[in-house]
Amino acid sequence: MHIMAEIAIIFGICLLSEGIAALLPFVFPASVISMLILAALLLTGVVKTKHIQLLSGFFIANMGMFFIPSLVGTLEYAETLRAQFIPFLVITLLTTPVVYLVTAWTVQLLTRLLSRKGGSRHD
Amino acid sequence: MIDAMLSSPFFGLTLTAACWCFALRLQKRTGLLVCNPVLVAALLVIGVLTVFHIPLESYNAGGSMIKLMLGPATAVLALNIYQQRQILKSHFLPVLAGCLMGSLTSIAVVLAFCWFFATEDVFTASMLPKSITTAIAVGISESGGGIQGITAASVVITGVEGAILSPLFARLFRVTDPVAEGVAIGACSHAIGTSKALEIGALQGAMSSVSLCVCGILTSILVLFL
Repeated sequence: MHIMAEIAIIFGICLLSEGIAALLPFVFPASVISMLILAALLLTGVVKTKHIQLLSGFFIANMGMFFIPSLVGTLEYAETLRAQFIPFLVITLLTTPVVYLVTAWTVQLLTRLLSRKGGSRHD
Repeated sequence: MIDAMLSSPFFGLTLTAACWCFALRLQKRTGLLVCNPVLVAALLVIGVLTVFHIPLESYNAGGSMIKLMLGPATAVLALNIYQQRQILKSHFLPVLAGCLMGSLTSIAVVLAFCWFFATEDVFTASMLPKSITTAIAVGISESGGGIQGITAASVVITGVEGAILSPLFARLFRVTDPVAEGVAIGACSHAIGTSKALEIGALQGAMSSVSLCVCGILTSILVLFL
């Protein structure tokens, strides 16, 4: 598909999401709405992978580049960050293993439980 | 002439693209996960601005255009869900429950630490979405009145940590199920962790890329109730 058509589709979804976000009675990120809309369009077959593959390939391959301005923006809040440096590091580093543990064990236990239930039927 | 160039949006655009390409090269050359291209590129930009005494506003003229593209970059994550729909369907309940528990845990642990350190509300709002992918995290942070830069920094460091330590976590916590391993990597270290999960195995990578989307959606819903 023509790259401009892909841009029109994806940017159009983002534009629609901003409108929906403004209508919602609570504050919700428009980017998540646009992801949900695109997922729905793909799953229902309205939009096909080939309709968006050039642009999505570009975005996914260079995803990290789009975070650079936000990170550079930290410069403006260097004082806040310096004042809260210990909490910042502790929270950032210690939350990760806890989330890993809880998530992995939830999936593992539930999978075993379900396969035991299903297993008795299939075996 | 220099002033005219610095006030042009092309300054921020050029600097970001150049630093990003250099950082990608460096990552490829060294192969080190610590040389995360996002982190290296951001430090390079900060370095250039500091050394040459260039105000942040000059950079932001172009930087804000790049930031705008976070929206479409998040939207295309929908492809992860779509491409892994079969695998997601066959593990639907465990994946959903795992992501829900992971997202809840992340929020609860961050809140507990913030309470312990008695941090300001702005800081707490910035740290809440630290486990999910940057594109969604900065959206949540902004909605909640946080500082995008602090959120992005925490998210990227979290991702690098998860990518480096996830093989160790799997051994330490006795995680043998590849589905559980993938979902956990995506839940605790989003897209950066997913790149490591893909190295560990195709199933782990697939589950991780689904999990980072599901956790992003769940976290943005869960923070509404705070």
